[in-house]
Amino acid sequence: MLVQILNGLVYGGLLYIVSVGLVLIFGLRRIVNFAHGSLFMLGAYVGFSVAVMGGFWGAILAAAIVLALVGALLDITILQPLQREDPIVTVLVTFGLLLILEDFAQFVWGKDFLKMPVPSMFSGSVLIVGESFPVYRLVVIAVAALVALGLSVWLRVSKIGLYVRASSADPLTTAMQGVNTDRVSVIVVALGAALAGISGTISAPLLALSPSMGSYILIESFIVVVVGGLGSFAGAFIAAIAIGQVHNLGLVYVPWAATMIPFLLMVAVLIWRPTGIAGSHV
Amino acid sequence: MAETCAIEGDQLTRQFGGFRALKGVDLAVPRGEIRGLIGPNGAGKSTLIDVLSGRAPRWSGTVKMFGADIGAMTAQQRRRAGLARSFQRTNIFPDLTVIDQLELAARAAETPNIDEIMAELNLAALAFRRAADISYGDQRRLDLALALIGRPKILLLDEPAAGLSIKESLELAHGLKDLAARWGVTVLLVEHDMDVVFSICDRITVLHLGAILAEGTPEEIRGVPEVVTAYLGTSL
Amino acid sequence: MTDILATKPTVTRPPPPRPALALASAIGAFAIGALIAATIQSNLMMTLLTQAIISGILATGVGFLMRQNGAVSFGHAAFYGIACYAIALAMKFGAIRVEVAIMLALVLPTALAFLLGLVIVRIPGVAFSMLTLAVGQAFYEFAMKARQVTGGEDGFSVNLSSTVFGIPTAIFQDPHSMFVVSWSVLVLIILGLALTAASPFGRLTVAIRENEERARFIGYETTLPRVLVLTLSAFVTAVAGVLFTLYNSFVSPDVLHWSLSGSALIMAIIGGPRLIWGPALGAIIFFFAKDIAGDFTEHWQGIIGAILIVVMLVLPVGLGGALAKLWQRRLGHG
Repeated sequence: MLVQILNGLVYGGLLYIVSVGLVLIFGLRRIVNFAHGSLFMLGAYVGFSVAVMGGFWGAILAAAIVLALVGALLDITILQPLQREDPIVTVLVTFGLLLILEDFAQFVWGKDFLKMPVPSMFSGSVLIVGESFPVYRLVVIAVAALVALGLSVWLRVSKIGLYVRASSADPLTTAMQGVNTDRVSVIVVALGAALAGISGTISAPLLALSPSMGSYILIESFIVVVVGGLGSFAGAFIAAIAIGQVHNLGLVYVPWAATMIPFLLMVAVLIWRPTGIAGSHV
Repeated sequence: MAETCAIEGDQLTRQFGGFRALKGVDLAVPRGEIRGLIGPNGAGKSTLIDVLSGRAPRWSGTVKMFGADIGAMTAQQRRRAGLARSFQRTNIFPDLTVIDQLELAARAAETPNIDEIMAELNLAALAFRRAADISYGDQRRLDLALALIGRPKILLLDEPAAGLSIKESLELAHGLKDLAARWGVTVLLVEHDMDVVFSICDRITVLHLGAILAEGTPEEIRGVPEVVTAYLGTSL
Repeated sequence: MTDILATKPTVTRPPPPRPALALASAIGAFAIGALIAATIQSNLMMTLLTQAIISGILATGVGFLMRQNGAVSFGHAAFYGIACYAIALAMKFGAIRVEVAIMLALVLPTALAFLLGLVIVRIPGVAFSMLTLAVGQAFYEFAMKARQVTGGEDGFSVNLSSTVFGIPTAIFQDPHSMFVVSWSVLVLIILGLALTAASPFGRLTVAIRENEERARFIGYETTLPRVLVLTLSAFVTAVAGVLFTLYNSFVSPDVLHWSLSGSALIMAIIGGPRLIWGPALGAIIFFFAKDIAGDFTEHWQGIIGAILIVVMLVLPVGLGGALAKLWQRRLGHG
């Protein structure tokens, strides 16, 4: 039973890291990045390729840097210029980007499923309350916890973090405070993208790599941020953990309906608070 | 009060977050009166209009229209019952033509006659223009026209003269007074423009920090020292 | 304000559009369809066109929702796919007639859209789009996982009887005749939607799209009209699903995948969603572009992604919209 819960935490942790990137970008730019799942996918592939030469840490570092650059580029070329348009324009443009990135991944790495081995330093299992549990999965949980902790500290302590929180609550007034919104947003979007990439890399040994993994995680992360409250960091954390558990327990006990459950949760939340997701809070 | 008031609010309270925008406001506007609602920024004037018109969630108290409790009615229902409002920030249909949106309002109000309103508010010449393309002043009048279609019994106006020139504001004000008299409309008017307020209102309610500070005829209000201090500042 | 004593001239309205004109256009359109089928010999080309038209109907459904509600759906394949599976499963498991299965295939997605709509239509803009993506994929995942019922990833052949509504099934499976059938259905649908859009209901929903709040404050209920638009849009999409199943006699989870929803959306955008016939034009362009691109490259997905971005940034009214504007300008200059 404990193993089931831990497995749920693994998936929840991965979901959290990728979803919180979505929240960061939404909180600042008020748009939903439909290419976010593709950033996760790129992170997994970049990590896969770099791991061969650079090892696990090299893979994570490479994914973080590459995706941060992609994120910065995304902000400068797409998000900022489209800031004044209807948000749906950005959605559709990032959707177009999703298609391009998926095609790109297929071109570079092929359509077949790739498997990344668990890094040797984290291979093997430990005994937890009498049951065997892979070390690597514990590492994933630890990384997710670190990211959550690090982010909440950063949001409360740093100047940029303060700005992100303020902007999430009230973008108009915050923009009028004279802070260089554009420079800050490049950093924040780059961070959001990097987080998606890192999540992709650390998930690679656990999931099968394919160009379509991006769209799958995108939908899952949408459910997380909708259930958690679009723009809410704490909400994303709680929702990711919850959905991770539901996802896992569902797979074990009702596999044929497992994928419907998060969706039902999403609809239930929306019935209860239909406009709650449009509001934002940190 | 022997005669039922057109619109009445009893102990209206509205709170969001920790902030109380309205603290137990009592308001009663008799039939046919033009009541001004003034007060400094943040006094709760727009909030009061929102509560009366059904735009504000989470409020407490009672709202009555001609003696009947309308608190449970949605904004749509209140409009159909004859309680119309205009908006501080122009709230029109940008892509529709002037005539199309007036006809839309007319259908809801179950009246065929929009020519009357277009004439009253000088919109006839703009009938086939897209609302987004007309001037700000024209848009303000369109916003007002949408509220006036169907000759509502009660009109709640939230700064109808906002952004208009002095001349336009006074023209609007006197036109309103004239119209209200002819149609027998009860008006509650939120305004910052003191010339407008003092020239057309029968009585004035002064709101400050969510509560009523004073209430009376324009002359009476002019003399209340708290009002002068809290709001008016300069002599009138 | 004007002097009330002076006489007020009433504003003269332009003459109302004549229904005869609409009917004439429809008949003309039917004729064009028959002409195309008669002229083009190549079965390959005809197959392409038929698929384009069926997808055009799907795109029309997506586009209508965009036009009337201003809502962008990434999940319309759900309505399409449910219609497909309804026929397929009804023929597989029930001893019912294919005509009843078709009725079921039209009713189920429409009813689902209505019920779903009651919940989701009030959800604003982008959140709505996110939700439609998730809903659509939920159905896809279900079809993939429920192997016993749906055959899972592989899909299965559909047992159609020898006639459908008295018409030999072969008519629905031959590219030339099916083109005429699909084209005619498309014309009827466009006519129907155009009439709906021009009706007071249609104009109300556009107003709600523009300013939902003010629509309420002038006295309108704003939820039900939007739900009805979603329902109608789902119905149109279900019709496409029925045609697809009749034509291909095969169903697989692909009919529920987000990529189908996305393609339909892109077709609507390329063609221009403001026009009722825009999405269908977009579908034809899409299919031809895909066919041509397929000769040169395998990167169609990347290409269509790029095309979407370009159209969004450069020509948001779509090609149909641009054509319509040009035509109007020519008329204006006599």
